[in-house]
Amino acid sequence: MSNENNIQSVSGEQFVAEWKANAARLEAAHLYNPAEEHANCGVGLVAAIDGKPRRQVVEAGIEALKVLFHRGAVDADGKTGDGAGIHVEIPQEFFKEHVRRTGHELAQGRLAVGMVFLPKNDMDAQEHCRTIVESEILHYGYTIYGWRQVPVNIDVIGEKANATRPEIEQIMIANTKGVSDEQFETDLYVLRRRMEKRALAANLMEFYICSLSCRSVIYKGMFLAEQLDVFYPDLRDERFVSAFAIYHQRYSTNTFPTWRLAQPFRTLAHNGEINTLNGNANWMKAHETRLASEVFGDRIADLKPVIQPFSSDSAALDAVFELLTRSGRIAPVVKAMLIPESISSNSNMPEEHRQFFSYCNCIMEPWDGPAALCATDGRWVVAGLDRNGLRPLRYSKTSDGLLVVGSETGMVRLNEAEVIEKGRVGPGECIAIDLSAGKFYHDSELKNVISGEHDYAKWTARITHLDSLINNTPSSSESDLDTPTLRRRQSAHGLTMEDMEMILHPMVEDGKEAIGSMGDDTPLAVLSGNYRGLHHFFRQNFSQVTNPPIDPLRETRVMSLNTRLGNLGNILDEDASQCDLLQLESPVLLTHEFRAMRAYMKDTVAIVDCTFPVDGGENALRDAITAIQRDAEDAIRGGCTHVILTDEKTTATRAPIPMILAAGAVHTHLIQQQLRTFTSLNVRSGECLDTHYFAVLIGVGATTVNAYLAEEAIKERHARGLFGDLPLDKGLKHFKKAIDDGLRKIMSKMGISVISSYRGGLNFEAVGLSRSLVAEFFPGMPSRISGLGMAGIQKKVLEQHGVGFTGPSAVLPVGGFYRFRRHSGEPHSFDGTLIHTLQQAVETDNYDLYKRYSDGLRKMRPINLRDLLDFKPADHPISVDEVESVTEIRKRFITPAMSLGALSTEAHGTLNIAMNRIGAKSDSGEGGEDPSRYRPRPNGDNANSAIKQVASGRFGVTAEYLNQCREIEIKVAQGAKPGEGGQLPGFKVTVEIAKLRHSTPGVMLISPPPHHDIYSIEDLAQLIYDLKQINPKARVIVKLVSRSGIGTIAAGVAKAKADVIHVSGHVGGTGASPQTSIKYAGLPWEMGLSEVHQVLTLNRLRHKVLLRTDGGIKTGRDVVIAAMLGAEEFAVGTISLVAMGCIMVRQCHSNTCPVGVCTQDPALRAKFTGSPEKVVNLFTFMADEVRQILADLGFSSLDQVIGRTDLLSQVSRGASHLDDLDMNSLLVQADAGGLPTINKVEGRNEVAETLDAQMILDARPALEDGEKMQLAYNVRNTHRAVGTKLSHMIVKKYGMTGLQPGHITIRLRGSAGQSLGAFAVQGLKLEVFGDSNDYVGKGLSGGTIVVRPAVNSPLKSNENTIIGNTVLYGATSGKLFAAGQAGERFAVRNSGAQVVIEGCGSNGCEYMTNGTVVILGSVGANFGAGMTGGMAFVYDGEGLFESRANSESIVWQQIEVPYYEDMLKALVEEHLAETQSPFAKSLLTGWEREVGKFWQVVPKEMLSRLEVPVSAEEKARA
Amino acid sequence: MSSKMLQFTHIEQQSPDKRAAETRKQDFNEIYGGFQDDRATDQASRCEQCGIPFCSVHCPLGNHIPDWLMLTANGRLEEAYALSSSTNSMPEVCGRICPQDRLCEGSCVLEQSRHRSVTIGAVEKYITDTAWEKGWVQPVVPTEERSESVGIIGGGPAGLAAAEQLRMQGFQVHVYDRYDRMGGLLVYGIPGFKLEKDVIARRVDLLERSGVVFHPNTDIGKTVTFAELRSRHDSILIATGVYKARALTIPGAGLTGVHKALDYLITSNKVSLGDSIEAYTSGELNAAGKDVVVIGGGDTAMDCVRTAIRQGAKSVKCLYRRDRDNMPGSQREVANAEEEGVEFVWLAAPEALLNEGTDQAVSGVRCIRMHLGIADASGRQSPEPTPGSQFVLPADLVIEALGFEPEDLPAMFGEADLTVTRWGTLKTHPRTLMTSLDGVFAAGDIVRGASLVVWGIRDGRDAAASIGRYLNEKAVAQAAE
Repeated sequence: MSNENNIQSVSGEQFVAEWKANAARLEAAHLYNPAEEHANCGVGLVAAIDGKPRRQVVEAGIEALKVLFHRGAVDADGKTGDGAGIHVEIPQEFFKEHVRRTGHELAQGRLAVGMVFLPKNDMDAQEHCRTIVESEILHYGYTIYGWRQVPVNIDVIGEKANATRPEIEQIMIANTKGVSDEQFETDLYVLRRRMEKRALAANLMEFYICSLSCRSVIYKGMFLAEQLDVFYPDLRDERFVSAFAIYHQRYSTNTFPTWRLAQPFRTLAHNGEINTLNGNANWMKAHETRLASEVFGDRIADLKPVIQPFSSDSAALDAVFELLTRSGRIAPVVKAMLIPESISSNSNMPEEHRQFFSYCNCIMEPWDGPAALCATDGRWVVAGLDRNGLRPLRYSKTSDGLLVVGSETGMVRLNEAEVIEKGRVGPGECIAIDLSAGKFYHDSELKNVISGEHDYAKWTARITHLDSLINNTPSSSESDLDTPTLRRRQSAHGLTMEDMEMILHPMVEDGKEAIGSMGDDTPLAVLSGNYRGLHHFFRQNFSQVTNPPIDPLRETRVMSLNTRLGNLGNILDEDASQCDLLQLESPVLLTHEFRAMRAYMKDTVAIVDCTFPVDGGENALRDAITAIQRDAEDAIRGGCTHVILTDEKTTATRAPIPMILAAGAVHTHLIQQQLRTFTSLNVRSGECLDTHYFAVLIGVGATTVNAYLAEEAIKERHARGLFGDLPLDKGLKHFKKAIDDGLRKIMSKMGISVISSYRGGLNFEAVGLSRSLVAEFFPGMPSRISGLGMAGIQKKVLEQHGVGFTGPSAVLPVGGFYRFRRHSGEPHSFDGTLIHTLQQAVETDNYDLYKRYSDGLRKMRPINLRDLLDFKPADHPISVDEVESVTEIRKRFITPAMSLGALSTEAHGTLNIAMNRIGAKSDSGEGGEDPSRYRPRPNGDNANSAIKQVASGRFGVTAEYLNQCREIEIKVAQGAKPGEGGQLPGFKVTVEIAKLRHSTPGVMLISPPPHHDIYSIEDLAQLIYDLKQINPKARVIVKLVSRSGIGTIAAGVAKAKADVIHVSGHVGGTGASPQTSIKYAGLPWEMGLSEVHQVLTLNRLRHKVLLRTDGGIKTGRDVVIAAMLGAEEFAVGTISLVAMGCIMVRQCHSNTCPVGVCTQDPALRAKFTGSPEKVVNLFTFMADEVRQILADLGFSSLDQVIGRTDLLSQVSRGASHLDDLDMNSLLVQADAGGLPTINKVEGRNEVAETLDAQMILDARPALEDGEKMQLAYNVRNTHRAVGTKLSHMIVKKYGMTGLQPGHITIRLRGSAGQSLGAFAVQGLKLEVFGDSNDYVGKGLSGGTIVVRPAVNSPLKSNENTIIGNTVLYGATSGKLFAAGQAGERFAVRNSGAQVVIEGCGSNGCEYMTNGTVVILGSVGANFGAGMTGGMAFVYDGEGLFESRANSESIVWQQIEVPYYEDMLKALVEEHLAETQSPFAKSLLTGWEREVGKFWQVVPKEMLSRLEVPVSAEEKARA
Repeated sequence: MSSKMLQFTHIEQQSPDKRAAETRKQDFNEIYGGFQDDRATDQASRCEQCGIPFCSVHCPLGNHIPDWLMLTANGRLEEAYALSSSTNSMPEVCGRICPQDRLCEGSCVLEQSRHRSVTIGAVEKYITDTAWEKGWVQPVVPTEERSESVGIIGGGPAGLAAAEQLRMQGFQVHVYDRYDRMGGLLVYGIPGFKLEKDVIARRVDLLERSGVVFHPNTDIGKTVTFAELRSRHDSILIATGVYKARALTIPGAGLTGVHKALDYLITSNKVSLGDSIEAYTSGELNAAGKDVVVIGGGDTAMDCVRTAIRQGAKSVKCLYRRDRDNMPGSQREVANAEEEGVEFVWLAAPEALLNEGTDQAVSGVRCIRMHLGIADASGRQSPEPTPGSQFVLPADLVIEALGFEPEDLPAMFGEADLTVTRWGTLKTHPRTLMTSLDGVFAAGDIVRGASLVVWGIRDGRDAAASIGRYLNEKAVAQAAE
């Protein structure tokens, strides 16, 4: 394509200069923040277990990197990679020889090598850097052998990489002081930190030390991984030997080659993402006050700040890891402290281990998030995983003492006959080699060693568990406040009857958060004329693409709300006193619990009154904040170890400081004063009522929260009998449970499982808060458009206080925030009258009426950000006749994903027909599509969705489904509840829906929060790859939800070869979602869209993807504004429902939609009055309106205005009490450098071919003439999605069941790459001799997959790992036999496959809805969580099953009915026949004896629905 | 939200029991009973608790209907009453006589989607009647008494609603009415079978106990001059309503036995209240034994036909030039009337009133058949006569129910500066509701033209709020001097 050539014509230097200028411009406008760049990757290590350096280790490391390229991304020049590198021991001889050659006399002992990046072009700066390095070394008393210019081959790097390439040199240092290696290493560490600080002070930003050590050296850079040893010829030198090699391949979300961000870092290489980085960094800063270590003595000051500014998450983790290892802890302990195993997830955890981890939790906040780590402290080499096991780590051990660990198996070619063990690292696990002892440790062996170092049980006994104290205090039913006072206080805090009835009541009654639907159509808090609590300005963060959210319901066991209070000690210490802490199981305290805690704290607590006088003048609030900061500080300096902030003293003359502001102000102040770790910060808030408020308080730094006024309200309501028979105690417990669950949910959205790392982490984004206010009290939180400041807050608080405390009202206002109310509350943009006008317009095909609707919307008070924007008047309007046609414009419309399951069949079909009629597109949503729709109806109507969605549930996602569309959409997140999963309640699972989703009618279906095959960006790239294989024509869409940082994510997505990026706004409708998610998660599309458009432009990626947006687009005007902000296509959801009759009843979640749009109740569906004509009319009207606007502005097509933010201007800066409302971040433009800013790719971004290209050629007789065939190939991990494209050929020609199983057999030898047999269909059989990576049988659609060890392998199949993680995810039918163990999340969301394997990791059979799983070995933790269908048989030789099963959804029993025994035996026999598994053979030989060791696992919901009952008794009755 | 709501999918709509037509036409008592407690609860629980409560959107008062339905369904009646009465000065009246089928119930989402609406009016009546019964309805006690006084001309819905609201603000309130009883059309216009007279009496009594001073039999411009009234009070509210009936202009309109609807209804209502009225006793305004023809299709016509039935008419016919679907009156009232024996003659217009004898008494109505023509710009089809389709209805009592127009207030009040519109209604500032005279406000039909009671209440409340602002500003200004 021509534009590709354009890129090439830009020189590397030019690119770098332009990129920097653009980035600076976007950053200045608060649109782009480089701190939000993400990187995911592949990682691994090779080591000699005996600790003796070998050349083989280095070579294997280099080889492994060469087959990891698909985990990284390549720039358009085909040469610039995102970074790769290797960490090896210093081959002393190699360097010593070099030293000798330069004429130096060699000193005793090891020499040290520093690998240094120096400024390349600025010679003065380069010299300055050298001076810093040399003077520090000499100052310390060591001598220098000199600098060595590292030989590099720049032919293999791209122009861009070359343009940013530093001068790469090595400094060689002699141990002239003759100190021990340990001491030398410590000195070098301090030296390096001093050099770095001096360079930073001198503003030498390009100076970077990759490594400075006498033990090891790091070679890294911005080349493709496979070019490592070409770029650095050193590594090809035979003298380059090492006992270990840690290697890393990076995949970054931007395209700017930044050399220093390549990994490995000094101690570790990390694949994953630290979700709690902000919190960890803040707490690390707090811990710095008390850092002390004998190792460093006074030099500790040189080490601070531990985390350097502008560090990536991995770099920050590395900095702390390094500090802890250098101060004396060994790498396995440091791994356990920073990334501990979850105590509660493993009920088989030995007591010593439990106590050890309990101690770890006392020392530091875990660094939480997906993590595969390979690290070393010089002596130990470790490879470990995060608590959730969200990254893969496979390992092999050979008989000659080599350990190979990596993100994939098969990266290093090993002789199968010599492989003596194949395993995987599980969640929270760690394997290690002690190089000095030459010993390998499995996880449990390692933990035995480290937990035996001290008597941790004795240490942790010193923890005071407050729960046991406070739980015994009875709650009092007595109210503290009389009703009128209560009402006044509530009213002063802005609470309403709606809050009481809709939000509080359900929490107390059911212990659950309230559910709502149809999105949020009220004004952004900053645009509202009413008082809005400060929490309304905080939007919850959520994870998408670069890391997964967690399921807080099914995976509660890895989550922890454990809260430590009090004085936190020196993290470098190791003694019992570190456990002198108070501990709570949850930060949520009921009032009586709070009082008990208060009483226990005695005089160690300071109470700070957070109210201010109403007549205190214009600075009253500011003065009060200064006062509470001072009060807290004084108290702590005076020895208090607990602070309580409270607004109880609110009276007619004193107004409350918004508690979020108070908590943030005190927390920030204490951090600045280096006092935060000396105290707990406890909060009593009157305004706090819902889970979001609690989360914000904790997020801004509160240790515990007591919502005393909410509790008073509960008591008052209880006294009035509103909870029926529910005892007050129980009601309060419900409330606490609802909040606890809500906190878990909010943390889990961000992929955070531990509250101690969430606390103070400000995992929010402000919309409409003054930037200076945020900088002062909530530093680090993005606030792009600025807005409400201190003066405005004071004004609004006082106004609301006045409402509560003056006037006669003893009745709470009705509300109107969630649902429209006439006399109070917020305006709603879905206005009753306008909706009717629109419905009449589309019914009568009356454009004038539509205009009345559209004008009516325009006249409303500002609700959305775009309402503050308007078109700049044009000089030269043109006639509307000159504008492109309605048909052209309508093609750009989409009806976004609304599943059949949420929508009624009628409504779903109507949308599809309408969109097909006008050449536009409808999206199937999650849940499959009825194959009868794949052919047009006799009258020509086509009810087949042009876009097929792939969501986390993978319901009905078959090979056929994926081939019946023009586009495939990967829904990463959903506007109304980003980061959350969903449930289709049993009553909505009709016979029809169950059929489409391969499940059982009446049984609940769960959509997990994450896609279990997308935990990171390279995983997404893999899924895109898989989808492009199964459908070689369809374009792939990735749907994201608006948030800050979405631009960089989008850049990563574009690099992953997506064709369309869809940016959803937060207002989007939904069938059901927690109210706090609807209201407080996600951002307006205006912000996300502009960021995506500009950051893609910045990275020269914009012309390669099409941008689409949605989230409350209602008129042609909205469409044109979206176009100007960068969108090319427009999804219109809610209003298209309104055109079909939706009247915003907002009861979708109740299945009582009275107009039959969003319900499965046949009686209600009969009331549906929608028609395709109405929908067509809507889009015609919108297109006409677009044409009129374009004509007025003087443009003849939409293409001409896309990205033209210069045509927009901000026409309102909001209310007068705001500091400023600044839309510049939406309107700033990056210079496109002459490239187009609209999609120019025709067709789609193609992906590389895999083995299938050859297979399809070879299988021609089968594909064309239907002959039966057997083909054989060698396979490597670089061959991904083997069998998928072939399945496409089969399904196109023969359909899903046209061939007999095994018609085409493909035999493969070696380690198959990811997604082996993804979407494989019936007729295809894949046989692997060797092993396979993650995602085997993803979406399996009838095919058969067999994986067995190589014939010459000595391995015992049931004791070794043969297939990776997330196998059979979303399989709908077919078979899998694997003679070995599988990794984590085996058969997640399986809805039909039959399978036999010999063991699996954690979360097996999660969310499974159908199919039969036989596991001939042990399973990991949390087996069968959320499993609602199908059946499993587990062979439990060790008697561990019961401790690992999740008893919430499943029951298990011995097999009682012969029917099932026969079923099991037949499958085991088939397994034996297919794999020749000796273990299967032994089971069958002793079947009578062995059958008793099988558990039959059945979902509870299925018990009554099975055709053949599982219990012998019932069978007899039947 | 309480799990008890959203029950419409399995609870059918049910109105309170209606007395059988045969029984109810024997008297002037209300035809509907009240709800039993559990039925009220059930019916309230049908509410869908919508995101956009169209019931409330289309209620002139914006009543918080879904909220008090929820409270009722949960047995929280006292709260329900507090909420209901916070937006409505006489919910028991609205519950009885509002044409709910055209307002809240007609807009109810369940009605829109053909599930039959929640019986909002009946629940409203139930809530308020229960509140009266339980003594939750208490006189207004303002937090602070104000010295300023307001004179209200007209004791109808607008005037009484304003009186209540002004008392809540602490003002001294005097209500002047030319009739002997307070209530305006509520007491004299609307027959007892829709609204029993003691319902109004207890409201008036409550207002009296709240400190409102009533001045009955006071005709402004005659008993006391308007100027005098203005000097007595700091502010005046004109809420006289519209009383001038539109008259037929066809041959025979001057015959005896042809009467204006209001004359007929007032007489009947007074008789029901126990007064002795000459025109009734004489038979002039008594339908007993007569063939009655009522001309018109509005609510007043409905009241007339059903009153005539109750007076013992020989036959009662309602003559209307459009068809049933296009009539302005409530469909529910039509159904009630038909049950009681009224015959509706749709698509027919009077051409002439006939008399056969010599005594100038009406004996029949010559009518012509109409058909509906093409819809005009407003979307309404105008009726056109069908040539040659004349027919005659026998009649010895003809009641004209053709609507009302304002009286000439500037003349009656002797206040030429009181500006009126070309329709004769008072001209007020759209935001302040003040007339052309400083401190003189107006509300209800006299501003809006003949309309519903509920609009009168709304206007009265709005005017009270505006008067409050006016007086507050004045007080501030005075304090500043």
